[in-house]
Amino acid sequence: MLKGIKNIKDYIGTIIILIMAFLIYIFATDIYNILDPVLFPGFSKIGPKFYSSMPKLWKSLISSLKLLIPGYFGAAFSGILLGILIGTNPRLNKNLKPIIFALNPIPPSMMTPYLIAIMPTFYLSSVAVIFIGCFWPFLNGTINGIVLIDQKYLDNSKVLELKGFKKLFNVILPAAAPSILSGAGTALNFAFILLAIAEMFATNSGLGHFIQYYADFSDYARVISGLLFMGGFIVIVMLGFEKFKKKILFWTLNENK
Amino acid sequence: MHDITVKNIMFSYDKELILENISMKIDSGDFVCLLGQSGCGKSTFLRLMAGLSEPDSGNILVGDNELKGASLDRGVVFQDYSLFPWLTTGKNIILSLQQKFKNESKKELKKRALYYLERVGLDKATFDKYPNELSGGMRQRSAICRSFALDPPILLMDEPFGALDAVTRAKLQDMVLDLWRKDKENRKTIFFVTHDVDEALLLSTKIFVFGSSPSKIIYTHSFGDEEKVDRDSLFNNKEILDLRNKLIHIINKDIEEKINLKEIII
Repeated sequence: MLKGIKNIKDYIGTIIILIMAFLIYIFATDIYNILDPVLFPGFSKIGPKFYSSMPKLWKSLISSLKLLIPGYFGAAFSGILLGILIGTNPRLNKNLKPIIFALNPIPPSMMTPYLIAIMPTFYLSSVAVIFIGCFWPFLNGTINGIVLIDQKYLDNSKVLELKGFKKLFNVILPAAAPSILSGAGTALNFAFILLAIAEMFATNSGLGHFIQYYADFSDYARVISGLLFMGGFIVIVMLGFEKFKKKILFWTLNENK
Repeated sequence: MHDITVKNIMFSYDKELILENISMKIDSGDFVCLLGQSGCGKSTFLRLMAGLSEPDSGNILVGDNELKGASLDRGVVFQDYSLFPWLTTGKNIILSLQQKFKNESKKELKKRALYYLERVGLDKATFDKYPNELSGGMRQRSAICRSFALDPPILLMDEPFGALDAVTRAKLQDMVLDLWRKDKENRKTIFFVTHDVDEALLLSTKIFVFGSSPSKIIYTHSFGDEEKVDRDSLFNNKEILDLRNKLIHIINKDIEEKINLKEIII
């Protein structure tokens, strides 16, 4: 209970901003009708539709998670694994760098026709869109993290004759963790951005699909409901991620916190 | 046993000569201080001793074997980063002990770790603390604990007390001397880098003064068996005071020469 009160106190600014935004929106729509009523339906319309869409939104969320989780964690696993391989191998790193530079910025949305053609099912091609988007930040984060490991940690590990997996898990990965986790954060952002693209084809459900679908019918009350729901979900995931990050990187935090 | 012979070591970095013709002979069980102004190459020399870098030419012999690469036989205490910050002090020590005592159980190793924690004057609670929860002095005690628990015949210390306040520093000097003295039979050979003349006088049985650019040994002093300096004689004994003044003079002269050299180049 006490902790709850403290949390509310910590986020008091956020709460004020949200309330202000809510009030401004209500004044601009329901009360003074300044904004276009089709694109910006008032909360008198959004509220009931949000409520009536709830079951569908939850279902969509679960369906989105079925894309997000394998895409994101698949990318995490392969990105970190390949990153370790490339990062610990200067020669490989040097030779692959130009290729990574070239492939990295290609938007996964442009690859969709190819993915649909290559992947055996539509579902897998949707997962692949998210996978590709998340893969590069993981790969780059891991490579950079390993290449930039402070020499003092490497010296220390040499002096202790640490080698192989023991060195990997006790020195390399923890020392590279700040950069890997920063890549993981970027990947998480990409995952949500790409969700809508991944759900444009292939599936008939999911949060991205929900928003896209009602936008096609100009039902913006439901579009905004979907956006709010998705926003709420993203906030929860991001806060969870922040907490995880702090837990892993406790040793980088200031001594006199 | 493990007498150390350093023969004509040359070392350069980025084409600049850092160490020029370093030679020395060290007896097993010596406490060797490498003394000199900062940037004079004494830490570089210690890195060669640790096997973290290789000389361009010359060699270092331990007994009859040429020194190659880093090894657990040469413990190293760095200035302030001997412990991995993401592991607790205990896990840091256990991790190193596992490297050396491969067949012993974790329980045995923990016992050993706790025993040495006590010997360096830390209480058991330190075992579960992370390095950044400890003060600088406690961190260095832990690092020294790790090194002594590994029990290497040779111990290399790179300005281990350089970042500590005077009182803590004095305490840790006494502690290291005590640990070193207590092993009467297998006394460790210690190489200790410092820029503090008093520290060198207090700790060492042999002092090598390093001059700068490129670094070479410009003065050597060995204490006889009975001549060990202690904190009182450091300021009362005439001979030692003379030696202290001489060392300070030599180092200052070296600094002056370096400055003059720079002015000529500019």
